[in-house]
Amino acid sequence: MNPGLLKLAVVGSRSAYGRLAGIAGGVAVGVCLLLLLWGGANGLSARDDRGAWLRETGSPSVAAPRTDDPTSSGPATPVPLTEDTALMEANPVEVFRDQLINRRDVAALASTTVKIPGIGTPPEPGLYFASPALQRLIESTPGDELGNRFGTFAGTIDDAALPGPDSLVVVTGATETELRQNGRAFLVSDFTTNPYGGSAPAYRTVLSVGAIALFFPVLLLISIVTSLGAAQRRERFATLRLIGASPQIVSRIAAVETAIPSLVGAALGVALAIILRPVAAQIPVNGTRLFAADMTIGWAATTAVVAVMVAATALVAARRTAAAGVGPLGATRAVHEKTPTAWRSVPLLAGLATMITPVLMVRVLEVRLPWLESPLLILGFLLILVGLVVIGPWLTHLVSRVGLRHANSAAGVIAASRIHKTPMATFRSVSGLVIAVFVVSVFAGASSVFEATEAPPAQPGMLQPTSLYATLGAGAAPAQAAEAARQARELPGIPSATIGYGPAVLSDKDAGPEIYLRATDAPRLGFEDVPATATVAVDTSFLGSMQPLALTAAPAANLDDLVPVVIVLGTDGTPEAMDRARTALNVSGITAIPATSPLDLRLQSTGRLIQGLAVFAYLGMFVAIAIAGLSLAVATASAILDRKRILGLMRLMGMPVSVLRRIITREAAVPLLTVVLLSVGLGFLVAWLMVTFIDDTYQVTWPATDYFAALGLSLLLALGAVITPFTLVRAKTAVTATRFE
Amino acid sequence: MNTNENAAPILRARSLRHSFGQTDALRGIDLDVQAGEVLAVMGPSGSGKSTLLHCLAGVLVPDQGSVDYSPAGRAGTAISTLAEPRRARLRLTDFGFVFQFGQLLPELSAADNVSIPLLLSGTRRQDALRRSTEMLERLGLDGLGAKLPGELSGGQAQRVAVARAMVTSPAVLFADEPTGSLDSLASENVLTLMLELVREAGTTVVMITHDARTAAYADREVIVRDGVIAAGYRVSA
Amino acid sequence: MNNSLTLLGLLSREASYGYDLKHSYDRYFGAGKALAFGQVYSTLARMVRDELIRALGEETGGGPDRKKYEITWAGQNKVHEWLFTPDVPSESLQSNLFAKTVIALLLDDDANRLLDLQRMRHMARMRELTRLKQEANLLQVLQCDHGLFHIEADLRWIDLTSARLTQLKKELQSA
Repeated sequence: MNPGLLKLAVVGSRSAYGRLAGIAGGVAVGVCLLLLLWGGANGLSARDDRGAWLRETGSPSVAAPRTDDPTSSGPATPVPLTEDTALMEANPVEVFRDQLINRRDVAALASTTVKIPGIGTPPEPGLYFASPALQRLIESTPGDELGNRFGTFAGTIDDAALPGPDSLVVVTGATETELRQNGRAFLVSDFTTNPYGGSAPAYRTVLSVGAIALFFPVLLLISIVTSLGAAQRRERFATLRLIGASPQIVSRIAAVETAIPSLVGAALGVALAIILRPVAAQIPVNGTRLFAADMTIGWAATTAVVAVMVAATALVAARRTAAAGVGPLGATRAVHEKTPTAWRSVPLLAGLATMITPVLMVRVLEVRLPWLESPLLILGFLLILVGLVVIGPWLTHLVSRVGLRHANSAAGVIAASRIHKTPMATFRSVSGLVIAVFVVSVFAGASSVFEATEAPPAQPGMLQPTSLYATLGAGAAPAQAAEAARQARELPGIPSATIGYGPAVLSDKDAGPEIYLRATDAPRLGFEDVPATATVAVDTSFLGSMQPLALTAAPAANLDDLVPVVIVLGTDGTPEAMDRARTALNVSGITAIPATSPLDLRLQSTGRLIQGLAVFAYLGMFVAIAIAGLSLAVATASAILDRKRILGLMRLMGMPVSVLRRIITREAAVPLLTVVLLSVGLGFLVAWLMVTFIDDTYQVTWPATDYFAALGLSLLLALGAVITPFTLVRAKTAVTATRFE
Repeated sequence: MNTNENAAPILRARSLRHSFGQTDALRGIDLDVQAGEVLAVMGPSGSGKSTLLHCLAGVLVPDQGSVDYSPAGRAGTAISTLAEPRRARLRLTDFGFVFQFGQLLPELSAADNVSIPLLLSGTRRQDALRRSTEMLERLGLDGLGAKLPGELSGGQAQRVAVARAMVTSPAVLFADEPTGSLDSLASENVLTLMLELVREAGTTVVMITHDARTAAYADREVIVRDGVIAAGYRVSA
Repeated sequence: MNNSLTLLGLLSREASYGYDLKHSYDRYFGAGKALAFGQVYSTLARMVRDELIRALGEETGGGPDRKKYEITWAGQNKVHEWLFTPDVPSESLQSNLFAKTVIALLLDDDANRLLDLQRMRHMARMRELTRLKQEANLLQVLQCDHGLFHIEADLRWIDLTSARLTQLKKELQSA
């Protein structure tokens, strides 16, 4: 191509440079976001890979021989430790402040060949290995709140076995006898590398859908920046056609003049991503940050992103220019849009059908075809995304037709007519927001699954949220329990220590259905109606109950004939006291389970990955909404600039500026409101489909307040995006705009 | 001629001065426009014709000088002292405008375009459309109300513009090169219809044109040269 | 073009000899068709008779070329009246209007005004024709159009000349 021609096409005016800068900037932001998102997904997956060993559940440490009676089994016999096995127990509620610590107690033969990831040979009894983050916590906290739980520091766990720099992991050494006591320990020989267990394909599907959902707005941004200043460029291209350039040449010029700033922008984006990567890694996902190194995606992938981006923008520019059909005289009359038809609903319906099929297969027909399910789900999701953008103009057209018939004001007639005649152009301005709202709804719906478990509030008849309890092991003598309670009471912030009794420890098969208490102790457990006997009883389910229970009188029971089965420490509710109580119970040596508080419920979650993704989703959402708002602002501004002469003449004829503003607002609001409800509904439907596909026990519930905040933010942003260019309305439609230039 | 020599002029401009940056567009203009007369404002390009029209119509506030608007049967208004919202309101209710081209909203049908000024002043849509259709018929555009501007010829589009300007029965019609982009025949057609309409309604017309044959439709003309009215055309008072 | 009035106009600048008068005329208006001496002298004689000019003191030889003429008060009035009386729009108008413009510039009089007066006369005629058209049949309309377009051509010349007056004056003064 003649470089002189290109120069004529590209350079010349300040606004041309502005447009090139806009393209470069937009592509830079897009590429940077893409690389960071990709890196984040990589990081999450690397993190899950590294943490996979923590999901190892091993094999049972006791063997129960089969008997003839299928409802019971013979007496369990311990499976002996060998050189290539280790006994391991996980503590599900090792809690410090409001953080869950991943604790493994390990016992092994001295000659063991088992290697624990990040440590190597299992620690000796009384020693522990901790992740650097946990060790820092231990060192900065009094021992009776945390450190005493673990023993003596033996070393740190290597990063290679830690999900992230903030992971709290501890591996403590224990004796075989200690671990065999409660029967919850299991035997391990090596550690799994599959982070998701059996539901890996489902999680991978969710990850892909998430990636698409976040990629789409970025794509939209790129598409918007390449069309910046389109009207002005059409004139320039018309000049080129006039002096003899063929449509192909013009098309090629458009491609090259977009590719160059796009390439510059992409390079800038790569640099920006590298600079921002350590910052992005600081964002905590599921309680821990990512290792910055996990977020690198390699040069090959980076180059691929840049190449695809540059090629895509160039291609889009060339296609658009060709489609605009710029003649030598320019596009003097407005291009008439074809009236959209009902056919536009096809992709959306097809997408819904495609997504429903695998869910029906799995849940209703109970057929599992893994090679088909995930692709169908992903394809369906893509179709719905595209379908929303495709159906928008049709719905907008229908609504504007009704609106035009009923319009009764100048602003109404003008806006409705414009939308009616150019539904595609008007919908395009809000398509970004529509997609953002859809994506936000999907993630909000999906993550609402995990908002369901909440700690119950304090109520009489229920264990107080500020208290901790631990059931006692079989060997605990009443004197030992009393001593432990006495010691605990001496700690600051622990006003009460109550012992509950029963015929046998709760893990024993002879355990009774009730826990017996001294009536004088009952008020300290939060009971208000205490029967007037020396001893009272409450059902054992009291310990984990979400419902208030009542005390019953137990006049016949004599506590001296019973054994202590549970110890409950009441605290003043400060985190320090809670942690002190927990530490005291756990190191007492008489407990059968780790100390537990009703508040611990809050920290337990099931769907780690989706929840992690939800955090990313809210980030992505913000990006999507911001981009969508930006695109709306750009579109609104160009809606004003493209019509500045006619709008200026309208003002000159006496149309108040407020009417012009109303026109512009309506032109954005009508298509947005038309499709936004559909977006919300579809978003939750899709979320439900995906969640049901993974596990039918999950329930999609009312979304968290974050969602409404995000939705509100989108609408606010939309408002801002429409109002910001209002300053243009006054300035650009002044009398001077009506003169022919 | 409907001019009543004894009545006060409907528009009276005195000592109008206006400049855009370093350029003096108006350098002291006195002008009387009599009620019911059709006045052509002529002059070379850049002489300040359009600026004069904008000042008379309350689009621009002159840097110096005054414009008084005294419609029959109503107290006079010093247009040049009003704030923009009041002037906009005045332009909407009392004035009509026709420009050279591109004044019709391309997405609106001809009838809807004509009805906009009525809607702006609070007329119900049905009534506005009825009056618009009548106005279009009077300009020989029967049956074209549903057409988009892009589907009309240049002459038809200008007649739609005249219909829109006249539908509110304005006291003064301002026309800026109303036939500037039409051929002789179309332009004669538009002017004849427009003049018939305004003379019947007694509308005062201020029409900018550089074309003598267009100006010949007026009752009189003034020449603006270098921001002043040429000597022979000055107000004698 | 009215030769006698043009000569009278030239003479109203300053008193001059017939010979000089002829050369002045030729310079401004004589492009292609110079004035004959005989015509100059007969015109001068007629104007003396009409008391528009008078001869100053006769010198040796006594021939007409040796006479210096001066414009009278009546002559001055005649020139002024001529300058500022617009001509009836006609096809032969231009040369006269041209002469008047040049004379006005030479006399340092208001050329713009005479052009404006002429324009008004033209516009009045155009208005008349335009009004005639409203009630006329097509044949008459065509006739009116013919007249309108010719007058319009004059008007365009007036507009252009009016726009060039400053430049024209400079050129005449330097000549």
